[in-house]
Amino acid sequence: MKISLNWLKEYIPVTHTVEEIANKVSLTGIESSPVTLGQGLDKLVVGHITSIKSHPDSDHLNICTVDVGEDEDIQIVCGAPNVADGQYVIVARHGAHLPEGKRIKHGKIRGIESNGMICGLDEIGVPEKYVPEAFQNGIYVFPEAEKTGSNALELLGLTDEMVDLDITPNRADTLGMHGAAWEIGATYDEKPDIKKAELDDSKVKELSDITAEVKDDKLVPDFLLRELKDITVGESPLWMQRRLWNQNIQPVNNVIDATNYVMIEYGQPIQAYDLDKLQENKLVVRNAKSGEKFTLEDDTEKSLSHNDLVVASGAQILGIAGVAGGIEARVTADTKNVLLESAVFDGASVRKSAQRHDLRGDASNRYEKGVDNGSVSEALERAVQLVDQTGSVSVISQEIVGSRTEAKPTVITGSIKHINHLMGLDLSSYKIMKIIDQLGFEAKLDGDAVTVTIPTRRWDMAIEADLIEEVIRIYGYDNLKGTLPSGMETSGGYSPKREFSNKLSNSLLSQGLDEVINFALLSKNEVKDFNIKETNLTKLLHPMTEDHEYLRTSLIPGLVNNVAYNQARNNNDVAIFEQARIFDRQQGEDRPAEVEYISGAVSGNIANDSWNTTKKAVDFYDVKGIVEELLSFTNAKSHFEYVATDEITNLHPGQSAFITADGQRVGYIGKLHPSYQSEHNVDDTFVFELNIDELFELNKRKVQSQSAPKYPSVSRDLAILVDKDVESGQIVNDIFTNGGKYLIDANIFDLYQGSHVKPGHKSLGYHLVFQNPNDTLTDETVEQAFDVIKESLVQKFNVEIR
Amino acid sequence: MSLNDKLKDLRKNGINEAKRAERLQELNDLRVNLLGKKGPITKALRGMKDVPAEERPEIGTLANNVKKDIQLAIEEKMDELNQQMIAKKLEDEKIDVTLPAQSRTIGTRHILKQTIEDIEEFFIGLGYRVDAGHEVEEDHYNFERLNIPKDHPARDMQDTFYLTDELLMRTQTSAQEGRDMESHDFSKGPLKVVSPGVVYRRDDDDATHSHQFHQIEGLVVDKNVSMADLKGTLEALCRHVFGPNREIRFRPSYFPFTEPSVEVDISCFNCNGEGCRICKYTGWIEVLGAGLTHPNVLEMSGIDSTVYSGIAFGLGPERFAMLKYGITDIRDFYLNDVRFLEQFKGVN
Repeated sequence: MKISLNWLKEYIPVTHTVEEIANKVSLTGIESSPVTLGQGLDKLVVGHITSIKSHPDSDHLNICTVDVGEDEDIQIVCGAPNVADGQYVIVARHGAHLPEGKRIKHGKIRGIESNGMICGLDEIGVPEKYVPEAFQNGIYVFPEAEKTGSNALELLGLTDEMVDLDITPNRADTLGMHGAAWEIGATYDEKPDIKKAELDDSKVKELSDITAEVKDDKLVPDFLLRELKDITVGESPLWMQRRLWNQNIQPVNNVIDATNYVMIEYGQPIQAYDLDKLQENKLVVRNAKSGEKFTLEDDTEKSLSHNDLVVASGAQILGIAGVAGGIEARVTADTKNVLLESAVFDGASVRKSAQRHDLRGDASNRYEKGVDNGSVSEALERAVQLVDQTGSVSVISQEIVGSRTEAKPTVITGSIKHINHLMGLDLSSYKIMKIIDQLGFEAKLDGDAVTVTIPTRRWDMAIEADLIEEVIRIYGYDNLKGTLPSGMETSGGYSPKREFSNKLSNSLLSQGLDEVINFALLSKNEVKDFNIKETNLTKLLHPMTEDHEYLRTSLIPGLVNNVAYNQARNNNDVAIFEQARIFDRQQGEDRPAEVEYISGAVSGNIANDSWNTTKKAVDFYDVKGIVEELLSFTNAKSHFEYVATDEITNLHPGQSAFITADGQRVGYIGKLHPSYQSEHNVDDTFVFELNIDELFELNKRKVQSQSAPKYPSVSRDLAILVDKDVESGQIVNDIFTNGGKYLIDANIFDLYQGSHVKPGHKSLGYHLVFQNPNDTLTDETVEQAFDVIKESLVQKFNVEIR
Repeated sequence: MSLNDKLKDLRKNGINEAKRAERLQELNDLRVNLLGKKGPITKALRGMKDVPAEERPEIGTLANNVKKDIQLAIEEKMDELNQQMIAKKLEDEKIDVTLPAQSRTIGTRHILKQTIEDIEEFFIGLGYRVDAGHEVEEDHYNFERLNIPKDHPARDMQDTFYLTDELLMRTQTSAQEGRDMESHDFSKGPLKVVSPGVVYRRDDDDATHSHQFHQIEGLVVDKNVSMADLKGTLEALCRHVFGPNREIRFRPSYFPFTEPSVEVDISCFNCNGEGCRICKYTGWIEVLGAGLTHPNVLEMSGIDSTVYSGIAFGLGPERFAMLKYGITDIRDFYLNDVRFLEQFKGVN
């Protein structure tokens, strides 16, 4: 809420600039910013129209003679439909600056001299929707005679300086001028002088024509009414109107304006009803019937829920309690008798209704965050007082009570020692008591114990910690010196699994893959694309868009999006990985398991044409190499294998494999299926995905150091011809099975398939290395092992040794 | 011609020939021809028998000297030719060092991960554990245990993605506080933990909002922690991340799970507090929220709030990185354009 300094001056002395106040309030209480209205505007004065005649060459222009407080009147041509003789108006003089850089100069309008402009409020900075309806399509007319030539902006409140309080939900006590005066006053050690509302006692009568009933006083702890008879509905005085439009409230009439004015003064919403429009002589606050209809003031109809709290008169719904008034008993220009309501409604109920019907406003905002139930009755008196002032009421009823709850101040007890201890300060009890007094709280000190009585206006305070906050913020956080916690030493660090996962990420970084971070909420299609484990999908109850509706089951769809995004921008060579969680939900469970995955995608070239190299597109084996290096960092004893598969729908059936550790699947690798690639606009892309949680379980290798071998190794080359469907992995496994204890390596160095070998066959070349760590190997030993290998291959795979 | 003169003549010719040689082969041939067993010196010495016996030693010495001198001349010339050859080879092998390299690329850690790890490591150094927590969390831990019951207005500050009535995508890493506190054995010392991770809010994605972003929650619970400890800890953190000259200030704020609550500003690292565009001419930049753990939050975890107190803080790695590197659009973090990603190589 914006706190006008002119208004604030009624309560406390204002001795600092608006900037200083905003800064100080920000540091001690509530985030604030200074606002100064009318900056850059000038030469806007009050003018009195002394004569008016039609423009000879126009059917809508008038030539006005205007007294602007100078010796000679000036002539202004005005096109506003509501301009009339005798009006006091806003005149922009020659050279005047208006908002948005607009400048007024004298000139001729259809041949007639015009020495300025008569303005509407919207032309000098009041947003159109807050301009009183009568002046929305024309010039503004002052309600009373003003001194001609005087500063019009000032009279209209449009030079006000204001402190804009951006409150947190706990400080709704400052959503009224009184609360704001207490808060700003505490900052400057000034106690506000707030005058009590006073009624003209001679008009107050005991009336018994209206009763009020509250069905559930837990939801409506206070519900008070007063009747006002024989009022005159009309325009509010300017001082009230200008304060309202500066609060972004449109002045309507003296009754509605008084209710809004009291809301700004006290923070207490007030509702007004036309007494003569009520269906019955009774107001009931009850839950709506499901589907019950209610029409707002702007004629839109709402269908109510049985959770909506409504104020009704018989079958007539007057309003949704604390949220919105209706059209049925609205106060209009013809209204003669008025019923004013001041109430406290349950914040949660108001909040839900306001949300349900999309009707959040000034009143519901206050009820949601709380109002001071110590001032419900007084705020009602104040509203009556204001209406009486402007509408000369004949009779005012006594308070009509639907419900009432005694307002009890909160008592907080604390210990000076504990307060200091938690602040990390050593303030004297005198200093602490002084601050408590500055806040306007009463306190008693008994040794170390302090007992503080919190007035109802600070309903946010309940416990000692709240008191600590008050003391330290007024004392000033700037005066607090930083220290570090001085307790027992602790050894910090990452969890073993996090260290493991960092190691795997680092192995990919060091192989040139960039790390990406993708969204975990994906579309339905995306979560199905690589749901290899066929986990149950997890869906948001209320997604915002179809793009982010389900929890991911794989990191691959995100990576593919990244490849597509980059390749669409000519970043054709992409090597990326992500380390994040996927969500794996078991049948019958609500909560998915969060599983750490590490996945990568490589697309484009891994080497480019240059002055000394030729380009090379990424292939399966490049990516397999990346994965193998990663797996070598798992510290696993397990035997990793690549098991060809055509089961993964969106991978190439001839270029994909499950990765197994001792037979257990831990991930997969492969080329994207050509149709998936074209659907997603990516070039040939190879991906892999590994389950970190499963790999972490394998992280069990205990390294027992061995000296590097001191005896030479012996090698043999083996060339074979074999059926083309036999996998090299099978051959290598067999070589190791039969190679004896000195075989340490078997590398393939040649693979040939084509016209020079038997049809349906391929030629393979292996380089075998033997080594005895404890002795020099003899040729004879090696030959023996080599023969066993060859013999087994012939037997098992029908190979031809070449 | 006397033998003496013959030898001297051979020496002169030999040395001259060595000096004239242009290739190593010529010198090798010269050595074999002149100094070999079939060479002219050996041949000349056959005439020794005609030399009087008393002159023979002198001639012998001369002959050896001639051999040595020629040998020396050949070696010198060989050295010279070798030098020339090496020089030529070096000249021939000269390359253009400005030609592009054969690239050996290490990937770039995502800038958010770099930012997070930098902060984690700072706190590890102060004895904090790192505990990542759950992305899918119970309403109970995400809200209720943080003193935010259902219908609390503070729930408006964070619109939530629910999975069921009780399960949600966590909206804050503070959700880990309850779990950390209830599982900690205080007889083993204070609880000191940072919880980094992904959080989710029901926000439309734009330049400053993302429905998914990161947070790091910090929590210390012990018998003797105070607001001053919070200030000192955050002062040290902000200086670690934003530079040693940073000042911090606390402003009162509100979070349901801390009391007192503060917003923390740092003095602007761009203008040192003078006022500039980055700090919106205030000299200060808001970087995180913090406070003393609310007694209700301690009590709900079974911790006696009259004996123990806690400091808690929550910060946004996105915000830190955006401030530090002048990133203006939060969506850049999640688009993963490699040109964006790679500019942060090695910054942390």
